[in-house]
Formats: sequence, C-alpha cells, structure tokens
Amino acid sequence: MRLLEFDYFEAENLEDAVAHLKKYNGSCQIIAGGTDLLTALKQRLYTPACLVSLDNIPSLKNIKEENGAIFIGAMCTLEDIINSELVAKKLPALKQAAWEVGSPLLRSLATIGGNICLNTRCRFYNQSSFWRSSREKCFKAGGSICHVTNKQESCVATFSADMPPVLIAYGASVRLIGPKGTRLLPLRQFYTDNGRFPNEILTGSGEILTEIEIPTPSSQTNSTYCKFRLRNSIDFPLLGIAVLLILDKGKFCKDARIIITGAGSAPIEAVEAREKLLQQELEPQLIDAAAQIAASEIHPMRSSFVSPRYKREIAGVVLAEALEKAGGIRE
Amino acid sequence: MTDYNFIGKRIPRVDGLAKATGKATYTVDVKLPGMLYGKILRSPYPHARLLKIDTTAAQQLPGVRAVITGEDVRQVRYAFVDTPRYPADEQPLAVDKVRYIGDEVAAVAAESEAIAEKALSLIKVEYEILPPVFHPEEAMQEGAPVIHDEQFEGTSFWEEWGVTEQKKAVKQNSAVNNLSGHTLISFGDIEQAFRESDYCREDRFELKATAHCQMEPHAAVASYDPLAGKLHVWLSTMGIFLKRYFLSRALNMPASKIRVHHTFVGGAFGGKIDLFPYEFCAAYLSMKTGRPVKIELDREEVFMTTRQRHPIIVKIKTGVKKDGTILAQDIKVIADNGGYRGSGPVVIFLCHGFSFPVYNVPNYRYEGFSIYTNNGIRGPQRGHGAPQIRFAIDSQLDLIARDLGLDLLEIMRKNVRKKGDVLPNGDQLNSCGLTECLLGAAEAINWQKKRKQFRTMENAGRYRRGVGISLCSMFSGAMYYPFASAAVVKLHDDGSATLFTGAQDIGQGSYTTLSQILAEELGIGIEDVHVVAGDTELCPIDLGSFLSCTALVTGNAVKKAAADAKRQLLESAAELLGVEDLTRLKAQQKTIFLEDNPEKTLSFSQAIQASVLKRNGNPIIGHGSYKGYPRAERYPSLAKGKGLFTGAYGFAAQAAEVEVDTFTGKVKLLKVVTFHDCGYPLNKTIVEGQIHGCTSMGAGQALSEEVYLEKGQLFNPSFLSYRLPISLDTPESIEGIVATIEPSGPFGAKEVGEGCVAGILGAIANAVHDAVGVRIYSLPITPEKVLRALGRI
Amino acid sequence: MKKKIRLIVNGEEKVLTIDVQQTLLEVLREDLGLTGTKKGCNQGECGACTVLLEGKPVSSCSLLAVKADGKAVTTIEGLAKGGQLHPIQQAFNEKGAIQCGFCSPGMILVTKSLLEQNPNPTTAEIKEAIAGNICRCTGYVQIIEAIRSLVP
Ligand SMILES: Cc1cc2nc3c(=O)[nH]c(=O)nc-3n(C[C@H](O)[C@H](O)[C@H](O)COP(=O)(O)OP(=O)(O)OC[C@H]3O[C@@H](n4cnc5c(N)ncnc54)[C@H](O)[C@@H]3O)c2cc1C
Ligand code: SF4
Ligand code: FES
Ligand code: FES
Repeated sequence: MRLLEFDYFEAENLEDAVAHLKKYNGSCQIIAGGTDLLTALKQRLYTPACLVSLDNIPSLKNIKEENGAIFIGAMCTLEDIINSELVAKKLPALKQAAWEVGSPLLRSLATIGGNICLNTRCRFYNQSSFWRSSREKCFKAGGSICHVTNKQESCVATFSADMPPVLIAYGASVRLIGPKGTRLLPLRQFYTDNGRFPNEILTGSGEILTEIEIPTPSSQTNSTYCKFRLRNSIDFPLLGIAVLLILDKGKFCKDARIIITGAGSAPIEAVEAREKLLQQELEPQLIDAAAQIAASEIHPMRSSFVSPRYKREIAGVVLAEALEKAGGIRE
Repeated sequence: MTDYNFIGKRIPRVDGLAKATGKATYTVDVKLPGMLYGKILRSPYPHARLLKIDTTAAQQLPGVRAVITGEDVRQVRYAFVDTPRYPADEQPLAVDKVRYIGDEVAAVAAESEAIAEKALSLIKVEYEILPPVFHPEEAMQEGAPVIHDEQFEGTSFWEEWGVTEQKKAVKQNSAVNNLSGHTLISFGDIEQAFRESDYCREDRFELKATAHCQMEPHAAVASYDPLAGKLHVWLSTMGIFLKRYFLSRALNMPASKIRVHHTFVGGAFGGKIDLFPYEFCAAYLSMKTGRPVKIELDREEVFMTTRQRHPIIVKIKTGVKKDGTILAQDIKVIADNGGYRGSGPVVIFLCHGFSFPVYNVPNYRYEGFSIYTNNGIRGPQRGHGAPQIRFAIDSQLDLIARDLGLDLLEIMRKNVRKKGDVLPNGDQLNSCGLTECLLGAAEAINWQKKRKQFRTMENAGRYRRGVGISLCSMFSGAMYYPFASAAVVKLHDDGSATLFTGAQDIGQGSYTTLSQILAEELGIGIEDVHVVAGDTELCPIDLGSFLSCTALVTGNAVKKAAADAKRQLLESAAELLGVEDLTRLKAQQKTIFLEDNPEKTLSFSQAIQASVLKRNGNPIIGHGSYKGYPRAERYPSLAKGKGLFTGAYGFAAQAAEVEVDTFTGKVKLLKVVTFHDCGYPLNKTIVEGQIHGCTSMGAGQALSEEVYLEKGQLFNPSFLSYRLPISLDTPESIEGIVATIEPSGPFGAKEVGEGCVAGILGAIANAVHDAVGVRIYSLPITPEKVLRALGRI
Repeated sequence: MKKKIRLIVNGEEKVLTIDVQQTLLEVLREDLGLTGTKKGCNQGECGACTVLLEGKPVSSCSLLAVKADGKAVTTIEGLAKGGQLHPIQQAFNEKGAIQCGFCSPGMILVTKSLLEQNPNPTTAEIKEAIAGNICRCTGYVQIIEAIRSLVP
C-alpha cells in the first residue's frame, strides 16, 4: 500500500501550525515521528488532506529541569529520552518504558508526543481497508456496530501506549496549544476513556501537544515500569504497569500510584490496590493482596488476541513484580 | 575419513558478497523500461457467488492500460496437484464463485502502483453471499455447504508424462463432504495387534495454520515480446522448470516460448512453488498490453493469499508391549486445505511418507483426509506434513512412556529403524543414523540428569525446567516434474569452469555446495567455478529446490557433469602425456599429473587447448543428469501410498530444554539440540545454518506462530501480530552431524535443511510436559494454554 | 504535492523533487535505484528497509522522505569502499550469517551502527541491537556469531 496524496506543511512556529490545522478544518493532522501515523495512513484509517510537521520548531525538542519540574518537549524522540542523563537520574521508569517501545529501528524516529497521542487499538480496526471491507464498518471507523461487544455506538478499543502510564504515575501534565490558546492539563485528564476518541486532541479540539511537565520526584520516590508482551521486541504491551511508591525508611508506603496500559480504553489507575498499600509496610503478603485487587479493577475486552481472563491473571502477576521491583525486593 | 579439498569444508557462500553489498537482484528489484504495475482485486467474502463485475470506470481511469476478470480467462485451470484423480481446481481469476477471503476477482495494469490501486477501487462487484464453512470436521458433514461443485475436464500433467494411469476424476465423495483428497494405507493386522498389546492409548492433537514468512514478498515481472512470441518472466520461485510448465499449460503456450530468468530468492520455505494467480495475471496482462508488467504483493496479501501450512487434526491410537515396543498404530489425519486443493492430497500422503521411516511399526493403518473449507489456501511448507505428524506421534509416545513408567529415550531406541531396513513400500534405508542421532542428542541435552519425568514436583517454584526429545525424517528428492535434474559444466581456456544448473539458490546455499561438488570432482578451485543458474533458457532441467532434492539429485547431476568434463580433459591430457591408462592421471588445482610421477604435469589450459586443436574442436563440455529417484518409474500413489517414494531419507533427533513461567504461562526455549544424519555434510557452515533456520521456525511454530483465523478472516497478517521468532528468542544451539555416508548421494550427502523443522515441535511439547507435568495437545503452546492446563485460569 | 529535498546519500549530495507522500524507502529504491534497501513489510515491523539516518538505524518505510531533507543517509551500497568490502560484510559472509540475503542489508547496517556506538557489545547487547530486524532463514545464530567475531 502506498500513501495517498496529501499536502505537507512544515510549521515554523506553533501559531502557524495551529492556524494550519484550523484551515483544513479537521482534515489535517500533526505528523511527529510518523511511525504510527504512516501505518494508519497506509491502512486508510485516516485520509487527511494535509499533514503538519513540527520538525522545524526546535523548542519542542528540549529536555530540561527548572523550578522543581522536568520539561520534555513533545518532539523529543524516545531515543533522546533513553540517552538523557536527567531522565535516567530523575525519571528512571520513563527511560525504561521508552526502551521497551516498538523496536530499535523505531525509537530514534518515534516521539514522546506521538506516543502520548497514540490512538487506541483493536484487532478489528488496525487492519487494511481491504481487510475491514469484509465486515460492516465498526463504530470507531464511522459505522454503528462494535465487533467486539456486538453493541451499537460503543468502542472498547485498547489503549496500548507505553509511556503514558509512567508519566501519569509521575504526576505529569501536558501543555496543549490550540485555537483557544494554551492550557496545562494533568495527563490523566487528557484521556477520555472513550475507545473511539481516546484523547482531547482526537475528539477534535484542534490542539497540539507541545510539552510534558513532570514535578521532579522526591528522593523517596521509587518507580518502575513492567511491560508484559508476547515477544520481547516489535510488540505492543499486552499489559504494562507503572508503579510509583513513596517509601519511608525504605519500606513504609506513604504514597503509591499504579497505572495500567493495555487494559482499557485509557490508562487505568488501580485505585483500590493503591488504597491497600497506603500506610502499610511493603511486604510479600501485602503485595499479593494488592495484586489480587488490581486484577479485579481492570476490565479488558476481546479487542486483542488474548482472553480477558488471561489479562486479568497477568495483571496480578505483573503488578506483584512491579511492586517488588519498585520496593527493592527484587532486581 | 576421506580427505577432500572442498567437500566438508566451511566454504563461504559464493553468492554471499552480492547479497552483503546489496547488489543481488531479487524479483522485487527488477524494473524494466516501460513497465506497468499490476494489482489484484480480491474477494472480501469467504464464500459468495459472483453476480456481476463492472469494470467500466476502472477502464476509463487515465493511466489504466488493462483490466481483466474471470470472463477473460474462463477456460484456464491449473493447480499444484493436477492428477487424473485430483484434477486442477484453481483459476487465475474467479469465474462463478469466490471461495475464501482474498480470492482473486480482477486484475489491473496501470502506469503506476497508485493508479492501479485507485482503479481497483473503481471496480464494482456484486456478490451473492453463500453460507460458508470454516472447520474441516464440520465441512465433512452431510449438509455442509459445498465449496466445489464444478465439473473438471482435461488431461492432467501426470498423464502427459505417462507417470500415472489414466483414471476418471473422483466425483465428490458421497460419504465425506468437501473431500479434496484421501489417503488410506495399511499393513499388518492392527485389530489383532491391538488385542495383543499390553497397553493402548488414544489421543487427539491439533496444529494451527502457520505462515512461511519469507522476507521477500511474492512478486512477478512479465514481459511479452510479440514479435518473437516469447514471454520473459522473473519470478520469486523455488523451481523454474515447474513454474514454466505450469505457466505454459495455463497460457496454452509451448514451454520453449516462456523463459524464466534468474533472480535471487528472498526465502521460500515451500511457499513459492505453486503457480499463483498474480504470476499468471502479470503474464497475461503483459501479453495483453504489450508492456512489461510487475505485480508485487503486499505483506498482507502474502499472508492471506499465497499459502499457509496446513492446520491438521491428528488422532492416534497406539498399542505397545510392556517394554514399549510398538505393535500397532492407527492414525487418522484431517487437513484443512482451504478454498482450493493446494497441496491437500500431498500433505496427507506425506504425513505418512515423512514419518513411517522413523519407527518400525509392524501393524499400521493410516487414513488421511484433506478437506475444502472457506479458509485461505494451504500448500507446502518446510517439512510439509512432517512437523504436524511427528509432533503428534512423539507427543503420544512421551505420554505412553509416562503411563508405563518407562524412559522415552529407551522406547524410541527400541523402535527406531536401522540401516538396511526395507520400508513397507519397498524403499531401502541404505544409510540411517537414527540411533546415533538419538543418543547424541540425548547426551547433548544432558537427558539423564535433566529429565524430570521420574522425579516428583518437589520443586514447585515459579520457573520450572524440563527436557524433551523427538525424531524426524525427510525425503531426498522424489519423482516430480521434471522428474530429473541435469547439469552442464563448460570449461574455459583458463581451466576454470561454468556450471549451468536449473537449481535455484533460495538461501539454502545450493550454489555453494554445487560449486564445491564441481570443484572437488573436477580438480579446480572454488574461485574457478562460475555459476549460471535459475534460467530456463540457459540451464538444463532441474527438479527445483523442494522435496529436499538439491543436494542429492542436482548434486549427483553436477558431480556426473564434472566427471564427464574431467574424463574428456584427461583423455586429451593422456594423449599429450603419452599415457594409455587414464586412471594413472590425477587432477588438482587445474593441473593434471601422473599419480606415479607427480613431476609430470600439464595444466588444464594446455589440455583444453589440445582438445580444441586435436580433438575436432571439442572445447570440453561435461553433461550429467540424475533422476528424482532412479529406482522409481512412476509417481507413487498419493491415495494408496504405493510405489517407491525416495532414494534416501535424511534423519534427525532433536532435543529441547525449556523453562516455563508457571505464573504467566510463558515458555522460554533455553537450548535446542539437533543431531542430523545428512549423509555427509558438504559444507558444515551451511548445514548448521539450515539446522538453525529449521529449529527457529520449528520453535516459532511450537510456541508462538499461528495464523489467527475467525470466520475465514486472518487477523494477524503482519509481522507485528504474527509472532515469528526474533533475535531475543534465540536459544543456545548445539548441532551434531552424524555422517552415515549415503551410498547414492554425491560424496555421501543427502537431505539437509527441511526435516529438522519437524522434531523440534515434539521436543518442545515434551519438554513442557516434563517441566510442569501437563500436556498441551494443540500447537502453538501459548502462555494462555499453559495457564489453562495448569488450572490457573 | 511536490517538494524539493536534498539528501546526502552515501556521502553524495542528491537534490530531488519528490511527492511528499513518498517514504524514504520509495525514494531510495525508485528514484535513486538503490534497491539494496529492501521492503519486507512496509510498516515498521521487519527491518529489511533499515538505513542509517545520521548514523542511526531507522526503518525507512516508516519515514517520509521529506523528513530526511538535509540529512545523511547510508544505505548498504555505501558500505564497500573502492571495491573493498567492509569488515562487517566480510564477517557476515564468512560466518554463514547470510542465507537468502534479504535481511542482510538491514542487519549489516544495524551492526555498523552498533559497533560504532559500542565496539565491545555483549551477546545480550547484540541481540537487543538487532531486535527490530527479522531473519527467517538463519535463526539468528550465525548472525550473532558474525557480529561477535567483530568484537575484539
Ligand atoms: C512495529 C511497531 C511497533 C510499535 N510498538 C509500540 C510499543 O511497543 N509501544 C508503544 O507505545 N508504541 C508502539 N508503536 C507505536 C509508535 O511507534 C509509538 O507509539 C511512537 O511513540 C509514536 O510516536 P510518533 O512520533 O511516531 O507518532 P506519529 O506516528 O507521528 O503520531 C501518532 C499520532 O499522534 C498524533 N500526534 C503526534 N504528535 C503530536 C503532537 N505533538 N500533538 C498532537 N498530536 C500529535 C499524530 O497526529 C498521530 O495521530 C509501535 C509502532 C510500530 C509500527
Ligand atoms: S472495539 Fe469495536 S468499535 Fe472499537 S475498534 Fe474494535 S470493533 Fe471497532
Ligand atoms: S519494510 Fe520497513 S520495517 Fe519492514
Ligand atoms: S537470510 Fe533470509 S531472511 Fe535473513
């Protein structure tokens, strides 16, 4: 499959880019690394009239720390993140997650912004136009039926990006610029939990993600990302769990965050599992109990190749592993 | 062991540098002046009647040069299996019905790929949806939708060659619906033997369809020269003469009017031997437009519309004595060959043919069914039936060993065939290293120490290890069109030689091993051998690189051609040296010398010059040929398993050590061992490379590879979701070569590179059982299946 | 929409007018005739199309050519200099790392970048480096051996 024709606009600044997006009135998209977008275009999931590139806006490629926060430009590649000393030192789980995305051949093209904006995925949707023509158009593709649930007007496609769970765990916010100006939004609120339009931008806000802002974690912060997949490269997460623990005296859990990707239409926070951990000493029994709870907090759908039951079982196993890692109980 | 100069040496590949520098031209790289691009419109439905096709809008699109549909090629039929019993059932473009998702409906040639794609979207097709059937056991039932109801006419290509008897086509069998092939073979008395057995066991195993994943997608370029009436084609293929024959029959042209040109082949593994509609369409469109036409398939098309390995159901009942001696085996195989016959009748025959050389089973009954369904078409894939059947038989043998409290190794040892055995069909095992392979593999995997079988599960930690073993065998060539391989060795003034061979190097290294044979036999260096291959115009016939015939059949042809050239060379030299007895002359490093007086030498150049000047201008050209199976006159009966199959069987024993994560169900392959009886290794680096490729493919099929189908739709037509092994999955690998010296093989060589995809499946399944004490009866052994079997989910 | 771009391909400057929807892979193979770069999947999943972009290995099927404007691209054709094979090419051939050869250009280029960044990789690091490149023929064993043979 070749790409269809489109116009290509290299924005010199963000205002230009926003104006251009507006001009095309919905039929225009940002291209960052393009690693995800190009496949989607080849599959005719989108047929934009124009792509806007942000390559010529150097400010989007910075990684810096200022006033107790770390700022990462949306156009930083995953490789930039892997190679950043600042990230390695202050946000080790982010480095870990970046390292596990896709394959080495994609990581120097793929950007963190693109990863955050990644659409949800589904085995009935991420297919060529020929493939999809065998069935009625599904809801996400503009039809009215969902092949997973057989219900109308619903989409349960799976959110599968690796970076967002870690970012949310670190309490990140994203800066968006659009026709109505700029805003800073907690990343968690950027996601809609709507399989069809999973984030603010995909709902058609006409915005651009410019920057990620992460409060510099305290020295008591322990964080990790555990990705479970069927093949250890060239594979999206079947399930990915970011864990952040604020530990007092190395063991006492003052605060915790557990964010899961691959288990719903948005990154999911395991709230009850977190409750279980708070104000407790982190030890094997507690970890097992929290893992059990987390497994029941997710409701995976058959939009991927494994059964929901399997995913739930794995959620417990992976979370236990992540907690042990973050708690320093395991390597 | 004989001291050879080139045979058995680790000679680097002769085509390696072209490939390492990007200079090697594959079919996808061929670009001709004025070339058009073709695309194929396919059915999105698994089973439907074609009511109407309207191509008007597509025809009118600027840049479109031709649009064809089934109407243009109504009478054309061809197929991989084309026998009186099983007449060809494929058509290049659907005529009345479509039978699977991806079935070809129309083809377009245009000035660019983009225009061709656009044109496809302008073709309007009206379908009447028919009820489909996807499971072979359902398709076999009375009342199931009938997939093929057309009448077949015409003579098959076996009849043209007189290698089979004239027979009437089998009508749709009344007892079994959608039957595309049937094999029934028996010897001894199984009922009696089961009664005499101390222990019997019945099991059912199942394997999913898998994909070849050749890295080069399928492609064809065709260029028709109307003045000469000649069609030039570049195909990514394993057998140029077979393709030419298929094409000549389909296009109704004399074979000599078609020339297949050489290209490098980016992997084949059995999946590039059938004639495909895109190849026919490229040729037809080129004839129609008078321009070269290229059709290159997308990766998705390769997955969906070329070929897959047959998903197979195997039911086995085995009866044994207390000590594990096998008395009787009753095997029933059901293969789903998809919407067309593909190689259905062949695979159900080969499930028998590639397995019965392993154990001596005195009472045996084998029945195979190949069944039409509305899934994609299945064809040969490395091992073609062997992985499926070997997995089933050796999985069950492991279960029997456990039931009886015996060591699997001992049972295998007791039952394996030996050198000198004559198989029930008359084939002779003139070389057979099964026992040595078995013992070698067991030792290398540290069987005695690592086998958990007899220990209780005292260590119930999260990660558990186990070992398993399995055996396999494979033909070395057989009787198949063009039934023989020939070779020509042309000497040059400077004493070097050009080899003309119809064989294709599909990555297995045949240009290199054939060069070694030539250099060794003739007495020249490897760098003195030039290879001209894979061109039907320049090269003599060749069986093609399938059925593992290249080493033995083509190898023998090359050896004979080299010997013929050498004889002529020595005759010329003898005259000059005044020697009567040719056996006194030796040739090495392009020099001829007297064995008893090595000082007396003559260069090849001198002998060649003398031949030209004194022997009536003879520049010395050697010829050689070798039949697919010299003892066989006819193609064996697929239905009855009668007749001779192959001249030599390759064997292997394969062992695996796995670690199972009992929390996630993931199986990690730690170590694989292959002890391979390949007669004699012509080139160890190449033999090892073939083993690695086989074990990796086998491991993938055992653990993660599966063409995921629902209602005939293929959900994972990409490398992202079809999980074939990557570098991180590479286990420790140990290879042992058991040199048995096959008397009929060139320098003792026989099959390598196909059979040992088969043992690894059973080895892994048995190792998983050893590790966690549960049996997985269906492949691939996915993490989910493991957790289910362990009762965790 | 057309656009003029400038690429430094194997050290040589190329100024081309291309369609903006062309991938770098298409420009290399079709416009520049550099067919050593292969197309295995066309969607970032196999590595057959690997080229070095400013020295880093990338899937050229997943990159718009316009995005490579002004950048240095190394393809397999750029490795052997003056009829002299690159040591990696030599090692791949000697160790049996090449069978059908379709993955080889990509594998060799990834190896080049790996060894430039890390002349002393462990086996695990080698496996990681080639984890985006699929080879169906070799089971990776001899590829890994070939790369190891280049480590002092
Ligand atoms: C084979 C393969 C494997 C993969 N495996 C993984 C994996 O394991 N984990 C994973 O998380 N991802 C994976 N991906 C997806 C993808 O490569 C990554 O998510 C990558 O980070 C996306 O970034 P990009 O810059 O390439 O995004 P693009 O493809 O350029 O864009 C993705 C989407 O985001 C939008 N977008 C991008 N940037 C902005 C912005 N600044 N403002 C507004 N909208 C924007 C685009 O319009 C587009 O819709 C894989 C992709 C492939 C092809
Ligand atoms: S979940 Fe349903 S609606 Fe959403 S993409 Fe999948 S099939 Fe379509
Ligand atoms: S062709 Fe680009 S990664 Fe496969
Ligand atoms: S050598 Fe054939 S794919 Fe690697």
